[in-house]
Amino acid sequence: MADSKILIIDDEWESAIVKAVQRRLEEEGWRTVIVEPQSRWLVGDEFEAAAIYVIEAERPDGVLLDVRLGEHRDDQFKGLEILRYIVEHYPTLPVLMFTQYAQGPARDTAVRGALRWNAPVDYIDKLASPEEVVLRLRRLIGAAPELIPVGAHLLVDVGAETVSARPERNADLRPVDDIHGMKFEIFRELAAAWYRSPGELVPFSRLERYSEGEEARASLRVRIREIKVSIGKSLGINLGANDLIINVRDRGYRLVPPQM
Amino acid sequence: MIIPNFRPRLRAGLPWNRRQSWLPPTWAAPVAGLTRRLGGLLLAAGLVGLLLAPLLGEALFPRLWSIEPLTYIGAALLILGLVVHGAAHLTQEALRRGEAAAVEDRRIAERWTRLTQQYFELFNHDLGRPLRRILGKEREIRELLQDTDAAIPPSVRELLDEIEEQTPSFRLMMSNIQVLIELETPNTGATLHAVEPAEVVRRIVDRYSLVAADAQKQIAWWSEPTEFGIVYCDSSAIEHIVTNLVDNTVRYAGSYVEIGLTRDEDNFYIRVGDDGPGIANRYLPFLFDRGWTPEVARREERTSSGLGLFIAHTLAKRYGGDLTVTSVAAPDPEHHTAFLVTLPLRPKQ
Repeated sequence: MADSKILIIDDEWESAIVKAVQRRLEEEGWRTVIVEPQSRWLVGDEFEAAAIYVIEAERPDGVLLDVRLGEHRDDQFKGLEILRYIVEHYPTLPVLMFTQYAQGPARDTAVRGALRWNAPVDYIDKLASPEEVVLRLRRLIGAAPELIPVGAHLLVDVGAETVSARPERNADLRPVDDIHGMKFEIFRELAAAWYRSPGELVPFSRLERYSEGEEARASLRVRIREIKVSIGKSLGINLGANDLIINVRDRGYRLVPPQM
Repeated sequence: MIIPNFRPRLRAGLPWNRRQSWLPPTWAAPVAGLTRRLGGLLLAAGLVGLLLAPLLGEALFPRLWSIEPLTYIGAALLILGLVVHGAAHLTQEALRRGEAAAVEDRRIAERWTRLTQQYFELFNHDLGRPLRRILGKEREIRELLQDTDAAIPPSVRELLDEIEEQTPSFRLMMSNIQVLIELETPNTGATLHAVEPAEVVRRIVDRYSLVAADAQKQIAWWSEPTEFGIVYCDSSAIEHIVTNLVDNTVRYAGSYVEIGLTRDEDNFYIRVGDDGPGIANRYLPFLFDRGWTPEVARREERTSSGLGLFIAHTLAKRYGGDLTVTSVAAPDPEHHTAFLVTLPLRPKQ
């Protein structure tokens, strides 16, 4: 996911709220491009022209798009016109509508008027936290990253098939011993689910693919325990039943980043 | 303890919604029309009978009390015809007035709805802007503090967290007001489209995970089957229902909130549960009443509007489903609360 480019189209691009989102996107490893109309008159048409130009020139991987671009009544839904253009010309380009009108009739109007049924378009409230915006964009853009940070202390390198840990916030990352092969696959599966949607449980059926023998569930349980012991050792902490990888009602496991 | 009953208020609603129940059934107007025609026929038959009586009466029947019986028959038909025709006419007039009143009610209601929505949008926009500014500044302060090497004092962090935590409540409040306006709008039909309930739940968990984490609580969710697929419903309605339930459970949970998504042949189910202190049995019948909160029953200061569960329940019913609650209250060691939303897979349009 690193090097993905996110285009931000918002008439309040200088506001602290957009800046906070921009900072969080950059922390995520995404590059951000902000549409800034040249004219000092902030009207919808200026935005529309500038946005279309930047989309053509920059070819972003995702767009964060405001609905209301300007104070004039005609600009109230100008963002939807840009959305319509994107859906028509770049049907696979993910668009996250960043708007105060994320619910209710305005959204329904947009869904009916501007979208194809399978367009990768979603809506989020302008008051959403930057974290929420990032989570939504992660799912919209879809591709799993090569590096999955699990909180501040763990990092999963999918390409190198390693899990690294740092016992303290500013310490260097060190590879965790003993998490290879199937144990790595189990942890990668849990980390990928957590990355897309924190709190989402990974069912046993998906994890048991990485277990052997007739007693797949028991084997999985053993591997999970071994993963926790290895990571706990690297972090210098003891990970109990309700830490890191938690069994939810015997349905599956979910990942919780270690709190230190 | 006397618990106030909010049901009469809940059922009353706005005047036009109340008056709808007084409208006559759809068959009333055609029946009144037919009855009036029948009255006219009886009237005409009576008149014919009276006119023919002097000519034909004696030839057909022997006299009765010095008058030929055809006169009696004609007179009776005439009176009956007048009564039936008159009654039908009065009924038709009443129906016409009722219909005109209903049309007027609807016109007023639509105007009210339009105006309310306009005011709401204005209010939402104007209130949203300063709020976004406050939030933006709060996030900027947090960023600045992180950039300095000095440790952030816990009291400052708490203040910043407090501002951030109020945001989901505000977002929910605004969307609840919007839903209330829609619910009070006459004849707004349910709109159905393809919805992925797992994605709706995922979004809500995104929103509440941070709030829950700040309060040292966790949210877990699962779906069975894992690839839950698509249902036909209104995504906004599902979102409103589940958001209100999650907001409630995150507030009252001890340390854990769980959301489960399942389906069978006819329905899909969303279960939202928490490990909080539970709800006393005596409060359960009032839980979905508009404006009811436990504080109201205890005559304490309210900490919420009491609209969330009412809206969730009303929306579930509106889409042909239901919302139920089971709860075990502390000191029982198994204390918990679980809300179950049931919605049809193939709702009637």
